[in-house]
Amino acid sequence: MEQLNTPAAPPRPAPKSNVASSGQQVAGSVAKRLSNELMTLMMSASPGISAFPKHDGNLFEWAGTIEGPSETVYAGLTFKISIMFPSNYPYVPPSIKFDTPCFHPNVDIASGQICLDILQDKWSAVYSVQTILLSLQSLLGEPNNASPLNSEAAGLWSDPSAFKNNVLRHYRAVSEPSS
Amino acid sequence: MATDAMKSQVAAKWQEAFQRLNGDSPGISGLMKFSEAWAISVQFLYPWDISSVPVDVDGRPYGEILYIGKDLEAARPAFNVVNRSKKLPALLETFLDDVRKNFYLVENEITQYMARYEEHQSTDEIRGLISRLVEWYRAWAPPPDLGAAVFQSYTLNFQTRLFSALPPSFTGGFKNLCATLLSPPSAEDAIVAVWRDFDILGLIERYETIIASVGYEYIEEYVLRTCTGEWGKPMLDDLRIWMSEKVVPWLLHVYARGATTPDEARTMLQGVGSRFDFHINKTLCDLRTREIFDVIIDYPDSMGALQDLRDCMQRVDQRADLVAALRKQNQKRLLNPGADTKLILQQYVSTIKCLRIVDPPGVLLFKVADPIRRYLRDRPDTIRSIVANLVGDDDDENGESLVDDVDAVPIQQHDFDDYSDPNWEPEPIDAGPEFRANKPSDVISTLVSIYDSKDLFVKELQVLLAQRLLMITKDGSDRVEKERKNIEILKIRFGESALQVCEVMLRDMTDSKRINTHVQAQKSSRLQPTIISRHFWPALESSDLVMPGQFHKLQEDYAHEFNVFKPDKKLKWLPHLGTVQLELELEDRKVQADVPPLEAAFIELFSDKPVWTLDELIVAVGSVNRSAAIKALSTWVDLGVLKEDPENTFNLLEKAEEGQSAAAAARERDTAKLVAPIADIPALSGTQLQQAEQMRVYWKFIEGMLTNLGGLPLDRIQTMLKFAPGYDKTIEQLASFLEAARREGHLVVRDGVWRLNPGHEA
Repeated sequence: MEQLNTPAAPPRPAPKSNVASSGQQVAGSVAKRLSNELMTLMMSASPGISAFPKHDGNLFEWAGTIEGPSETVYAGLTFKISIMFPSNYPYVPPSIKFDTPCFHPNVDIASGQICLDILQDKWSAVYSVQTILLSLQSLLGEPNNASPLNSEAAGLWSDPSAFKNNVLRHYRAVSEPSS
Repeated sequence: MATDAMKSQVAAKWQEAFQRLNGDSPGISGLMKFSEAWAISVQFLYPWDISSVPVDVDGRPYGEILYIGKDLEAARPAFNVVNRSKKLPALLETFLDDVRKNFYLVENEITQYMARYEEHQSTDEIRGLISRLVEWYRAWAPPPDLGAAVFQSYTLNFQTRLFSALPPSFTGGFKNLCATLLSPPSAEDAIVAVWRDFDILGLIERYETIIASVGYEYIEEYVLRTCTGEWGKPMLDDLRIWMSEKVVPWLLHVYARGATTPDEARTMLQGVGSRFDFHINKTLCDLRTREIFDVIIDYPDSMGALQDLRDCMQRVDQRADLVAALRKQNQKRLLNPGADTKLILQQYVSTIKCLRIVDPPGVLLFKVADPIRRYLRDRPDTIRSIVANLVGDDDDENGESLVDDVDAVPIQQHDFDDYSDPNWEPEPIDAGPEFRANKPSDVISTLVSIYDSKDLFVKELQVLLAQRLLMITKDGSDRVEKERKNIEILKIRFGESALQVCEVMLRDMTDSKRINTHVQAQKSSRLQPTIISRHFWPALESSDLVMPGQFHKLQEDYAHEFNVFKPDKKLKWLPHLGTVQLELELEDRKVQADVPPLEAAFIELFSDKPVWTLDELIVAVGSVNRSAAIKALSTWVDLGVLKEDPENTFNLLEKAEEGQSAAAAARERDTAKLVAPIADIPALSGTQLQQAEQMRVYWKFIEGMLTNLGGLPLDRIQTMLKFAPGYDKTIEQLASFLEAARREGHLVVRDGVWRLNPGHEA
């Protein structure tokens, strides 16, 4: 069955595929991986998480959306994040930050930096955008108060009503990018 | 007060005038003589009532000549006297005045004749009137002795009065008379006489346009009579012969009456002849333009008409009319939901061939074809029809194939102007800006070019091939060969690589035969599977059908043997695509049937238990579509094996039912025999279903991007969708898709920016 292994369609010159057109030779395989991840993410129906490349032709910068898990202080709130993939992804974790101010023990309220183990030393190439988003969503409900970035939030965590007030004080609804 | 000088001047004038009239005669005898001559002249010329006196052919009265003073011999000296006295102009004036005064005589006659004509509508009256008018004219004409000038002013005067006296109805009568002269019942001499009379009265100049219109109408009538519906052979030459035999002699009277030699006549006829020839062309062209749709239907039996049209077009610039007429007809008769796609395609192909004859560069075709192509593009089954035709899938053998050119040439994607071509010709002047001079490419290329790419065809070709291959039951190797041959031909058109998948499919067919032989050799089985490589076949409609009882056992045994033979492969059964040969042994009879698997599965279940409800049956074979189940069961009911009683409960009839009338049962059995063995076409999800599936994927992407990026304009969505694998929709398709989503409430759009509808919960 030699024939089965040959591609069905002739290799066509692909001026159309914007996916790979970002230039880098090495980026080809990374782009392929990201493109696959995008497909998986799109087709999986995970409620409350979503992400998509910000610009056409560039798979390395994504915008994400996380809805606060129900029965937490973040319930009903929607957080925007940005995801930057390095060119040697997935050997190196993507850098992620909150665009929406998020009052949370492991998130820096001003810069949006996140302190999450799988985004740092615990990163593994088997993780994907989807797993990251799911981790972030659960992080909202279960902060790691042992290594806080926002110590005020860490301190207030035990007092849900005061904590929630702070969350709402800092929270700004998702503003539509003006178009 | 008159002065002396004035008096003497008047006297001198008087003397001079007197001298002129009196001459040298003594006294006033000269004057007397002049007066007498004047009286005789006036009397001679006096326009008399020819009805009162019999006249000869030249209008000369016989008999009492003297009585009315028409004796030329007597009058001649008198004319001389008047002429000598330089009083000829005065005489002419008096004469013309008399003509005016007496013209009522002519008018009366005209009125009488016209009244009779209006009553009987007979052109004989007009003919009579004209003869009579000639008589009047001749009778009143001054003698040649008075000189040409007098005669001419008389003629002019007479004609002017005549024309103003003729009533409007005369024009119509005159026209009819001319028409009778064209197809004359009367002898040649009579015709010559009539034309001469026309000429004398100046009617030809006056009514030239009417005469011409008679000719035109005659031509039109003849062309319509002889050429309507006659498309078999070119008519133009025959028409020209007819013209030179019938119309030209008539023309000679009108336009070459002064000619003395044939050559002279020819020169005189040249202008008018080409006008009439043009008219033939135009009439024929108009006729064919009106008939063009039917002419195309009749192609190739209408070659003659097309050649005519081509020749006419060269003289008559009616190209735009032809395009408009054909487009209108197409719109009305072809491009409507009532027309079969195959018919539209056939007509389109005929149109291509016909218009190539009429207009080789293809400008007309381009203009006419555009709406057809656009319409075809919107028809869902166009590709299927074309492809079916490509592979010769016509059910009716006599159906004319679209593809009759034997030489298969590669599909031509349209190429651009080759500027180094020494035979390059500019585009015709009426070519539009989008016009592409597609060099006489073959019909298939043209059909394929309805769509932007040939990929669609290749896909549909695969689906069709899959269908046909799966229909092949166990001993159909010759049919596989036939398909292979087809594919080989198509490869020439579409290119080797495009049809590689088809190649694999065909190979699967032969391989599965080989594998089957091997498996059967290990352990013989009744099962004859076709083993296909899922990846290379179009998406087959999946089914949850589970074959019960012995069928399941057969499958498992076979799969086991297969696994021994090919350990790295796993068989996944698609039981719903097969057919089953069954022999049912019932108490009192045996029933043989070739049935689809679902039917077989059901009847297998009845071997365990004689009564099943519909729902039980459906559960027992996995889950199948309820309507499919009912259909399968009704097959058995029709065959008299099952009985539905009560509703949705089925009983096995171990003994043939006697209660029903035997005749009805027999009839049912007859129909059943016809219906049951015909298996359905293997259920493939056609390209349409695949597309719906694709759109679902794209919708997820659209949802994803709009969630994360907020509102986006259409063109951004289009470019962003490039992230989706295999996205190939045009922006128009996307727009209509988004619009559909908006109608369903998933999206909102404002100022061209699309957003997810926040209120909508999907």
